[in-house]
Amino acid sequence: MELATQLVTYGILMGCVFAFVALGLSLIFGVMDIVNFAHGEFLMVGMYVAFLISSYLPLDPLVSLPFAAALGFILGIFSYRLLITHILRGPMVAQLFGTFGLMLFLRYLVMFIFGPDVRTLSHGVLVGKQISVGWVSLDASKVMAAGLCLLFFAFVFWMINRTKLGRALRATSLDAEAARYMGIDTEKMNALAWGIGGATVGIAGGLLAHFYYITPTVGMLFVLIAFATVALGGFGSVPGAFLAGIIIGLIQVLGGHYLSELKFTFIYIAYFLTVVLRPRGLFGW
Amino acid sequence: MGQLLRDIFSFGDRPVIERVILVVFAAIVLAFPWLVESAYARAVMIKFLLFALFALGWNLIGGYGGQVDLGQAKNVGFGAYATALMIVHLKTPFWLTVPVGMFFATLESFAVAYPMFRLRRHYFAIATLCVALVWKELFIFWDWTGGARGVELPIKPTPNFTYMEFGAIGYHYFIFGLFMAQFLFMNWFTKSKLGYQLQAVRDNEDAAASLGINVTGTKVIAYCITAALGAMGGSFMSVYYLYIDPDLVMPLDLSILIAMTVMVGGAGSIWGPMIGAAALIPLDMYLGAWLAGGGYYGIDFIIYGFIIMIIAAYEPRGIWGLIQRMSKKG
Repeated sequence: MELATQLVTYGILMGCVFAFVALGLSLIFGVMDIVNFAHGEFLMVGMYVAFLISSYLPLDPLVSLPFAAALGFILGIFSYRLLITHILRGPMVAQLFGTFGLMLFLRYLVMFIFGPDVRTLSHGVLVGKQISVGWVSLDASKVMAAGLCLLFFAFVFWMINRTKLGRALRATSLDAEAARYMGIDTEKMNALAWGIGGATVGIAGGLLAHFYYITPTVGMLFVLIAFATVALGGFGSVPGAFLAGIIIGLIQVLGGHYLSELKFTFIYIAYFLTVVLRPRGLFGW
Repeated sequence: MGQLLRDIFSFGDRPVIERVILVVFAAIVLAFPWLVESAYARAVMIKFLLFALFALGWNLIGGYGGQVDLGQAKNVGFGAYATALMIVHLKTPFWLTVPVGMFFATLESFAVAYPMFRLRRHYFAIATLCVALVWKELFIFWDWTGGARGVELPIKPTPNFTYMEFGAIGYHYFIFGLFMAQFLFMNWFTKSKLGYQLQAVRDNEDAAASLGINVTGTKVIAYCITAALGAMGGSFMSVYYLYIDPDLVMPLDLSILIAMTVMVGGAGSIWGPMIGAAALIPLDMYLGAWLAGGGYYGIDFIIYGFIIMIIAAYEPRGIWGLIQRMSKKG
């Protein structure tokens, strides 16, 4: 019972992180119908920011979050301006491969600079600490990561739904041409979607670095998890992404406990079954 | 029969020039082991031919079919494992294992193809990627495949045509034979009925359907043929490396590299796969290996990524598209 409680709790905690990772992907897809394969690489860059700041400066890795967000934002905007605007004109194959190229470029650039070694955070307020809630004992870093992800998720959700900027973003996503007639600078909205996508996933990376190993190749796994999450939740649906994140988190943690070699297999199968059996996902239209 | 031969050896746009290029290419490759002594250069040549072979096969679904399949490595794995396991456990001659590998690759592709082709665009690409990853993880998980340890093939002391084991020169002609067979097959395929149907489906599905083409059926058959061609290359990998494991024959990077080779060279053209392999493989084998020796990893993939971005942004038809554009201007 204790074990089951612990596993389910971890599943939900990881689910919050997955949901937050998937949020940016879903946003970009919703606004301009393009899938960003480099999304996981943005996450990896966020992890490296946390690692570098905590290893080379006498600072806690938590301090790195604003920097990870800023770098992710800049990376998103640059990717959009320098690459995405050009490949949007091409056929769909070019769009897929363009972000694929960006993925390879970022991943191996980081590998080139920092080497292929696996790294972990060695110190930090939360690293390696345990907290007890009731009769379960949990990693403090995971609880913190899940909590902050939930907070930022709620913030982005609020921003999209309640602010003027968010409404412009949603208008662009529903009908870009009509939005242009209404005086919305859709180019700017596209760039903004990429910026927010990069910033959110950068923060997620900074939080993940607290308890996940840091390597240049970690991105692929998370981008696949994010694809599965977004597909399950329904492309373009933010609440869907949240619920799907929790479900994927539970699948990964429970599957990983009982069949550890196959823990990611279940996620791939979940993606496949979702898109085949219910292509619009749980909440999509 | 005459028509068949004409289809195999004729080329579309510039029949004479292209035929001359093919003959010159074949002559260079045939003479290569006698001109170049370096064992490394010979290994680079074999890897080039192997990837050109993989790219030719992928070009069928990716280039002529326009379906971005990011899971070709699973078919390579089926071929490689069929050959390795049958040779090790049953002592089956190599040539009998090849059709078995192709059969299993086709069977699996047929089984997943129908649900898969309900999907389009990104959804399809990611689904192929997921299916290939599931197979790789299963091959690591299972015991009868040797798990993560892989399978080691028995080494024969003398050149052996039953198990296709010999020195570097033997492998060179072996892979070149496979490559030429597949090249001519693809050249015929583009002019076959199915080839035209597939290209029609790629260009406009609704228009193709209105002409009475079975859109899904065409895609499924193309997907299965691609799988069989991939498995053939996998069988070669088994006897060439004499040791296989899921990380060598089924990784995601292999799927990506195969697709990238075609994209860089020029998808949907008969020369694209060769051009792409010629552009990417020596880069990886020389520059990548040289810099990795100095402790710098990944420079080859940085350049790959950059090339891919440039091509996607400015010339989605790849190097072949560039050549065509320039020759039209000139």
